Amino acid sequence: MSRYLLGRVFQAVGVILAISLITFFILNVIPGDPVQLMMGEFATPEAIAQVRAQMGLDQPIYKQYFGWLGNMLRGDFGVSYFQHRPVLDMLLNSFGYTARLAVFAYVLALVFGLVFGILAAVFHNKFLDRLLMTLSIAGVSAPNFWVAIILQIYFGLTLKWFPISGAKAFNYYVLPAVALGTRYAASISRITRTSMLEVTKQDYMRTASAKGVHGWMLVMKHAFRNALIPVVTVAGTDLGNILTGSMLIETVFTIDGIGKLMVDAINQRDLPLVQGGVMYIAVICVVIYLLVDILYAVIDPRIRLGGGAEG
Amino acid sequence: MKKLMALLLVLTMAMSVASAFADDAKVLHFGEINPKVGYDPQTNTNSRATTIEECVVEGLYFWNDQNEEIPVLAKDFPTISEDGLVYTFSLREGVYFSNGTELTSEDVKYTFERMFTPATGALSTYMYNMIAGAKEMLAGEATELSGFEIVDKYTFKITLTQPFSCFTKNLGIVYAAIFPKDACEAAGSDWGIGTLVGTGPYILGEHDNSSVTLNKNPNYWGSEPHFDQIIVTLFDDENTKLLAFENGDLDLCQVPTDLYLQYQGTETANKFHIYYPLGTVFLSLNLSEEFNGEKNPLADVKVREAISMAIDRETLVEFIDNGLGTVATGTVNPAQLGFVQREAYPYDPDGAKALLAEAGYPDGVSFTAQIRSTDQPDMVQIQSDLAAAGIDMKLELVDAATWTSLRNAGNAQCEWMGWFPLYADPDNNIYSYFHSSNAPGKSVFYNNPEFDALMDAARISTDDEERGDLYAQADEIMSRQDYACIPLYYPNYVFAAQDYVTNFTVGNLIYQICYDVDFK
Repeated sequence: MSRYLLGRVFQAVGVILAISLITFFILNVIPGDPVQLMMGEFATPEAIAQVRAQMGLDQPIYKQYFGWLGNMLRGDFGVSYFQHRPVLDMLLNSFGYTARLAVFAYVLALVFGLVFGILAAVFHNKFLDRLLMTLSIAGVSAPNFWVAIILQIYFGLTLKWFPISGAKAFNYYVLPAVALGTRYAASISRITRTSMLEVTKQDYMRTASAKGVHGWMLVMKHAFRNALIPVVTVAGTDLGNILTGSMLIETVFTIDGIGKLMVDAINQRDLPLVQGGVMYIAVICVVIYLLVDILYAVIDPRIRLGGGAEG
Repeated sequence: MKKLMALLLVLTMAMSVASAFADDAKVLHFGEINPKVGYDPQTNTNSRATTIEECVVEGLYFWNDQNEEIPVLAKDFPTISEDGLVYTFSLREGVYFSNGTELTSEDVKYTFERMFTPATGALSTYMYNMIAGAKEMLAGEATELSGFEIVDKYTFKITLTQPFSCFTKNLGIVYAAIFPKDACEAAGSDWGIGTLVGTGPYILGEHDNSSVTLNKNPNYWGSEPHFDQIIVTLFDDENTKLLAFENGDLDLCQVPTDLYLQYQGTETANKFHIYYPLGTVFLSLNLSEEFNGEKNPLADVKVREAISMAIDRETLVEFIDNGLGTVATGTVNPAQLGFVQREAYPYDPDGAKALLAEAGYPDGVSFTAQIRSTDQPDMVQIQSDLAAAGIDMKLELVDAATWTSLRNAGNAQCEWMGWFPLYADPDNNIYSYFHSSNAPGKSVFYNNPEFDALMDAARISTDDEERGDLYAQADEIMSRQDYACIPLYYPNYVFAAQDYVTNFTVGNLIYQICYDVDFK
């Protein structure tokens, strides 16, 4: 187990380094010169060259990369070209907002997703199943920015139950969390239902039933636990997506999160900020996938880490 | 237990005092799209940031919302030597920055020297680099501004390298706001980010990417600010901003043209007000002989005139821009010096075809316009107009950063452009865009010595009547004879204001929320 973990950590570091390298080179070849954008249209070529040299952008690209990598390993992600603030501070600040939104949205997605999925499986082909699955199709299909605007108009403007933008207190997160979590709740409910139905056809379920296990005990202890593997995969991926920010939801609700920060940085060609943001996303994704793999073994003892079956 | 009760009582009292203060405070809630830049007026020219900066910092002069320039930190307008080179300024005495330090000539000198220090990265040096020694500082050859002489604590002289009649006008823009030397030096790279200190009516309070709080400056030297606080809520989405206005969360905000129509017939539309800023929307054309290694049809004046003739400006303004604009008859805006009421540009697709044939393009011409997503509505309509006259304008959609880079590098062939001066003088927008010394940075490459000579003469003349004539002639040559650009319309601004908001108006690009605006 520990050997496997060590291997996975090395693998993860390799993935992160590869991502940093690819991002760095891509950012340096896309059109849109950051120095020219910073200096404005009246800057003379001499002034542009001077600033380029000050920022070290006149160095060969490999030197720039290793310089950036060295600084990053010391915890210095550089300074935003346009907001002139340390990138790490900006990422941490935005992470606070994204994390709060993610926790609310994810809890909502898990609770509703699992409950609806289990209910739909238990009441398979009954009215409740059809109702919940129709709702889940709507939830998966509806673009989240549209859901967001509808929620703003109805619960914000008409009923005045919740604020329509900002992130000053808990109640500010309700509408964005619902808008963001709806799609994930829908996808988790669908995968839970499918997985549960698959499991209920297994022999051990009949055995358990024959031994006298009935009702919710059968559902929760024997069916749900065994149905969890695909659910964990989907829920893990969803957590990665939620934690790396939702640009649309953050934009519509004016929440200063990671998604919005990244899109703004890309639009402005704020290279240190984009590079720092990509690192953040890479680390979050790699860590979550690692945790999901470990969780597989915890849930299903048949999966032995390091045995070549970890997938 | 008693202690706990006492603590709770004190807390309750403190909260009620705080809420009573909060209830009594007169607060203007202004909605703005997030400028996503700092608030140092030297290092950004973002008009949305400028609106906030103008509440905190002040310059020697100020352009108000009636397009009048008034002395602010300067006691009066400067005295100018006969050769037009030496300006003598007197500062208003007893003016203090909000950190308690007194404004002196040293601060003014420091501000300009900071502007010309290359490491600052100031964006608007082109407006002030005629001060003697500025170019040497910008080139890194000097660390002191030789053209700035401190006479005494409140008097200083600025020497220019050449006469420039708009120098005092340029000093009225917030880009020349005066900073307190000690505070600015101490803040270093945090200036405009965490710290901004000025002499203005408000003090920069808490601010982040969601909102900016501006607190009343209790020691403001001028008339008392109307609000205890101005809270600028920053939005990323125009729809959300207007929903917040409808919800009563905002007192005042701008309405984008594309949402204007959507609100017609609603109660909210009764709160919309239309203003006339100084700008002009035009098609910016690359006039170089070759583009991407091929012959550039836009180099031919007949092709450019044909483009102008093929565009139905009335329809463009009425249906695409929801009537929010006036059809342009030149590049100088009606509120600017040098505006002449001319006949409308003819709309004649057949005439355009004939002109193309005359220019040697009987089968029509083809070129590419580089556009941002916001340019799309106008440009798609124009594309369809041009197609009817045999002109194939391809639209290449790029993101804003790519668009700016292409343009600055001279690699854009045609763009939609809304170009706004900061005050009502064409030097600020026509010279800066079309003079041959500026045109290449905009992918224009217009070079007509006759036009340049008129613009240069207007820069030297101090007689506004004469300057008006010179600009009128220059605009005639540039917009009506050379078709160096294709003027389309003079755009409007729309603002939504709650019924109790008074005295808000817009004169130029930068709207002011900290002086006249009040509640009934």
